[in-house]
Amino acid sequence: MALDIASLVDTGTGRQSRLIYANEEIYRQELERIFGRCWLFLVHTSQIPKPGDYFRTFMGEDDVIVIRQKDGSIKAFLNSCTHRGNRVCRADRGNARAFTCNYHGWSFAPDGALAGVPLENEAYFGELDRSKFGLVPVTKVSEYKGLVFGCWDANSPSLEDYLGDAKFFLDVWLDAMPGGSALLGETQKMVLGTNWKLPVENVCGDGYHLGWAHAGAMSAVQSMDLTGLSVGNSGVDLDGGLSVAGMNGHMVLSALDGVSGYAFYPDPKPILEYLEANRQTVIDRLGEVRGKQVWGAQVNITIFPNLQLLPGLNWFRVYHPKGPGQIEQWTWAMAENDMPEAVKTQILENQCLTFGLAGLFDNDDGDNLAACTEQSRGWRTAQMDVYTNMALGRSGKREGFPGDIAAGLVSEHNQRYFYRRWQEHMMAENWAEVPTYNINSLTAQEAEHA
Amino acid sequence: MLDRPLSPPPVEVIVAVTQALHCEARLLDNEDFDGWLAMLDEDICYRMELKSRRFRADRSPPLPVGPGVIFNEDLGRLKLRVDRLKSGFVWAEDPPNFIRRAISNVEVVARPAENEVRVHSVLIMHRNRIDGTTRVLTAARTDLWRGEGQAWLLVARDIVLDHSVLPDSNLNAFF
Repeated sequence: MALDIASLVDTGTGRQSRLIYANEEIYRQELERIFGRCWLFLVHTSQIPKPGDYFRTFMGEDDVIVIRQKDGSIKAFLNSCTHRGNRVCRADRGNARAFTCNYHGWSFAPDGALAGVPLENEAYFGELDRSKFGLVPVTKVSEYKGLVFGCWDANSPSLEDYLGDAKFFLDVWLDAMPGGSALLGETQKMVLGTNWKLPVENVCGDGYHLGWAHAGAMSAVQSMDLTGLSVGNSGVDLDGGLSVAGMNGHMVLSALDGVSGYAFYPDPKPILEYLEANRQTVIDRLGEVRGKQVWGAQVNITIFPNLQLLPGLNWFRVYHPKGPGQIEQWTWAMAENDMPEAVKTQILENQCLTFGLAGLFDNDDGDNLAACTEQSRGWRTAQMDVYTNMALGRSGKREGFPGDIAAGLVSEHNQRYFYRRWQEHMMAENWAEVPTYNINSLTAQEAEHA
Repeated sequence: MLDRPLSPPPVEVIVAVTQALHCEARLLDNEDFDGWLAMLDEDICYRMELKSRRFRADRSPPLPVGPGVIFNEDLGRLKLRVDRLKSGFVWAEDPPNFIRRAISNVEVVARPAENEVRVHSVLIMHRNRIDGTTRVLTAARTDLWRGEGQAWLLVARDIVLDHSVLPDSNLNAFF
């Protein structure tokens, strides 16, 4: 039976069918049309600085190795032996001159070439065409200012076009300071019993849950105001932030005070000093709006489908789907290379305190997302809908920013755009049928002088 | 750090420290967080580092700012975590999860000072969660305990968690 994707999401009313969180057939189609088609985050260049450095990750459920080449370029391959399919790399990361399969000993060079085959002459009689059995490369690999993405679809737009106006916000981390960016620490991995879309939705636009789901954590560590968001959701200030969407499926939540990214640091002083010492540099590089209001503020950036980064709280995360009801959530700390070592250390520590495996905030979300997933699996619940219908129709242009923008961090505007994008991809047979839109795009000149 | 004692420490020290480890586990199982905090030295260093799975022969240098941590707590931060758990807002713990800690492999390996001992132990944490699932976490711990009068206080704990991917949705629990 063909899936009736059109009936599953209604952007106009903010309705989603619960089938999209539980149905196996829908999930298989997501692996093909979303994870098999979109640009997916692979690695930050800081994680594989030297030739032979590699990092193992996933594209959808496909196990992938990303490898720094001798010439400094980056290639990515399926982590699967071309002989019998076994995994050729079992480590998370490292440096290697070759990847040797455990099963029969086939060995692959960092450029993917099949470099060694045991008994090649004696048993294959010298007849194996090694050139046909290299590791399978990821179709396209491209970098945007340190972020390396891969894509299986040869017909996809370029990475820059795919990111579209989300680059305006990504640059607030990647290009604010001349030294650029880095990810810190080992990968913080946890299994969550949730559909992959729910954590994306939670972070892409849901400021509503902050004051309630995280009330305990906020009461414990909050050191400054975050646009009036209060413990227990007793109040909020919708003028203090923006919900930005309509950028090819990417979304941003941003406070506008230039400091509140560090609201959940018990001791934000050293970082606030770094921000103020470098504020003018960032204004010179990115303009007044981003330099004064966004850099340092609480900002949630979502790159469709499964990458999220929060400059300020400084966590960077991908969600790897493991079936319709399970994910692995991978997190790292984010820093700017120009930050003093002590500030980087503080960021890593605070990220681990707030959003790590024992993170005060993270430890509130997992069970909620898992229960939303479970409550979509029943015979009766599977027939029901869920809603993101807060502040319908209340969005528009905002001077100095790209995107279709709703006021405040508490809105469900961004989630509607997320599900709209999900639906657009799921309905499209190929990239040519996927619409491109960057609503209220700024000209290069406007962006610079914003 | 001396891994094996040259001569065994006095039996009464072993008994006292083992009793302290068991008492600590019971207090935590019963969510008597104030009782537990009272067993900690004011300069407590409570750490669990992040790990990655690497080939034995891998020679990559250490990461620039270190591996990162799951816990790196002083007394203030442990109190902050306890404050959160006691805030009444931590919905993931209400109703309470059923948690039981088993401590074993207690081995007193060194006596850095007359009133201090270094102790290895193994923790098995059985968590029957609100969602009905049961997760079992295991960890190794290396502690420094200090005898203060009748009481033994925990001065330092290094915890090694035996999971490269955490098989649970939170770590609202102390090890």
